[in-house]
Amino acid sequence: MGTFVDALQFIVDNPGLLWDKTVETLLLSGAALGVAMALAIPLGVWLGHIHGGSFIAINASNVGRALPSLALISIGLALLGVGFLNVMVALVILAAPVMLTNAYVAVEQVDPDAVRAARAMGMRPTQVLWRVELPLALPLMFAGIRTAAVYVVATTPLAALAGGEGLGDIIVNQSTYGIEGVVGASIVIAALAFATDGVFSLIQRLVTPRGLRRRGKERIVEPSVEPVGAG
Amino acid sequence: MTLSKSQSRLLALLAALLATGFLLAACGGDDDDNGGGGGGGGGGQEASSDQPGKGKPTVTLGTKDFTEEFVLGELYKQALEAKGYTVKLKKNIGSTEIIDKALTSDQIDGYPEYLGVSVAVVARKDIIPKSDQQTYDLAKQFYEGRGQVISQQTPFFDVDAIATTKDTADKNGLKTVADLKKLGKFTVGARPEFKSRFQGLKGMQSEYGLTDAQFKQLALGIQYQALDNGDVDSANVFSTDAQLASGKYTVLEDPKGIFGYQHVAMVMNKDKYEALGGQQFFDVVDSVSKLLTNDAMITMNKAVAIDKQDEAEVAKSFLQANNLL
Amino acid sequence: MIGVLAQQPVIPKFERASECIRENHTFCAAWFKDNFDRVFEPRIVEHIELTLMAVGIGFVLSFGAALLAYNRGWFERSFAFFAAFLYTVPSIAFFQLMVPITGLTRTSAEIALVSYTLLILFRNTLTGLQEVPEDARMAARAMGLTPRQTLWRVELPLALPAIMAGIRIATVMTISLATVAAFIGVGGLGQPIFNAIQSGFKTQFVAAGVLAVLLALIADVLLVLLQRFIAPWTRARRA
Repeated sequence: MGTFVDALQFIVDNPGLLWDKTVETLLLSGAALGVAMALAIPLGVWLGHIHGGSFIAINASNVGRALPSLALISIGLALLGVGFLNVMVALVILAAPVMLTNAYVAVEQVDPDAVRAARAMGMRPTQVLWRVELPLALPLMFAGIRTAAVYVVATTPLAALAGGEGLGDIIVNQSTYGIEGVVGASIVIAALAFATDGVFSLIQRLVTPRGLRRRGKERIVEPSVEPVGAG
Repeated sequence: MTLSKSQSRLLALLAALLATGFLLAACGGDDDDNGGGGGGGGGGQEASSDQPGKGKPTVTLGTKDFTEEFVLGELYKQALEAKGYTVKLKKNIGSTEIIDKALTSDQIDGYPEYLGVSVAVVARKDIIPKSDQQTYDLAKQFYEGRGQVISQQTPFFDVDAIATTKDTADKNGLKTVADLKKLGKFTVGARPEFKSRFQGLKGMQSEYGLTDAQFKQLALGIQYQALDNGDVDSANVFSTDAQLASGKYTVLEDPKGIFGYQHVAMVMNKDKYEALGGQQFFDVVDSVSKLLTNDAMITMNKAVAIDKQDEAEVAKSFLQANNLL
Repeated sequence: MIGVLAQQPVIPKFERASECIRENHTFCAAWFKDNFDRVFEPRIVEHIELTLMAVGIGFVLSFGAALLAYNRGWFERSFAFFAAFLYTVPSIAFFQLMVPITGLTRTSAEIALVSYTLLILFRNTLTGLQEVPEDARMAARAMGLTPRQTLWRVELPLALPAIMAGIRIATVMTISLATVAAFIGVGGLGQPIFNAIQSGFKTQFVAAGVLAVLLALIADVLLVLLQRFIAPWTRARRA
């Protein structure tokens, strides 16, 4: 209990430090998410659109979930050395699979009737994709992004071991910041993870087409939620 | 409803899982690896003068988190086991601050410490000792005040130092730490605790006026990689690091002695020390310590750090060569 | 004279390593082969022990909690909240936090690892039970089964796919987290990784990292197979 109080005291005493580290964490997470999205979403959408590659697309998230983050960072340390790049690559590899799977499933399972109706109206394949499939797929797609985002934020503390910056710096350096610093930074990380989850669930709701919002509850297959503590 | 088959499968699965959980919980217990069960020398119980450790309680030694400490840990462990002691060795506990906590909370009974570090980091004295003798006395006095004892110190010393690549040093004419000023704004790569220590960045700033030094955190061990890659301009190294033997790096002199005198001694909790036979115990420790010259240490560090030999094997060969096993 | 009198030691000649090792190439296969049983094999065994123990204990606790929550609604919220709270602690901090309480021991690691399994195992078990069709329950009652018989013969078998899915997720997650446990020196495949962080030894980085990845993937595949064997009807469902 005393530790917890000390940790809160640490947070109160070190707003500047924690703010800087939080910004670093967010920049790192944001960059990793951005790259992962740029890679995974188009691929997933495309596979879903052509209804192909289901084995890879479906199993991507299973494989991604199974990959131990520290192991990836370790391999990265040998191949890429210490620093931002290694950490980025590891986080992207962890974040991309679940996005890929969700984007694939989201597009793939769009009501075939809707697609057929669109075609009957004379839409070209790209129009079908942009005007029918994507809007209907957005909620589930964002569920994947949300899961990945929380996962990435929660994994950043480990990144500090490989020279990544952010709150993890404090968490892996008990010798400098004391146990109260470790707990204090952990509280901030946990809060960030919750906030990330909140923000993305809000976006998820906003991007859900109005017609889907009620029905959505039944249709949206929530992806298995990843551990916040996985970092 | 044809669930009888799957029902039995379910029950089998649950039973198996339950059993696994409980079995492991029951027998997994706490025992760590390295539990030095048998101890050395099977010479029977009668030779008590040669086996002062027989019948003594288990001693748990710790080490910090770098090669030299692993080697030291193995050296002391094996020499003690040869004298009949039962030794549990917990390697890689962490930096000074953390291992000191492990010592004061009795998670370990002792560990090899650098005495300059003891004075500056553990005792938090702001004075710069003028000699190794003064360092030893200050450390001893401090530890005694806390109910701890220290062994004799080793001949070798391993001092923190600042190194650059040879290229950087030659190009900019760097000889001493003070010369780093010539680089203008520059980066110092070091393990995290270096930043807040006087025997570190603080001393560099206050004693050498290096206010343009930018700290860059590096995990221990990768400083050389960072120097090679140009990630940092200078890095904190140890004077007995095997990598320095390559000639690729220049170690800057420390004329003001901010990095202090760093001979090693075993720090022990006193009650455990007494229980282990007091001076008898330290006699064994000292018999190893007095052999640890700079050359010996660098050779062993190199065998482990560069040639990737098992530190236990390296320690064993050394002890055997010196008739301590 | 300070300290001890230096005595000139005999310094043995140590073997020089191969070029690959001395130059610290990305992966030296020969070294890996020669040192597998010393550096990695015991760590793999420890890793499996850490994981099995955590999932085993975590399952027992979650299973009990889920049964309780299934019958008493109030317990569901409080346990779920508790488990979710534990889930949010960054692992590398959790392990450190246990050290002042239970020391640098396997117990410390297990407490953290078990804590992380609770949420998934609890939620999956409970959801599995709650999703048992009312018809099945009524049919069981109509056949004259007692509530206890209904639970063991009808509800749990029907919840099995969800429970197995939970065990699968919990297991691969634990394998991942167990690598971090080496931060407090309790062994497992994280140990060579943390050692390599200090020594910069690339072969060890690659070997330990790849072994940990393989361990996780193999466990995942084995559990899928187990799932299909125990509950063949799961295949129809999407994982």
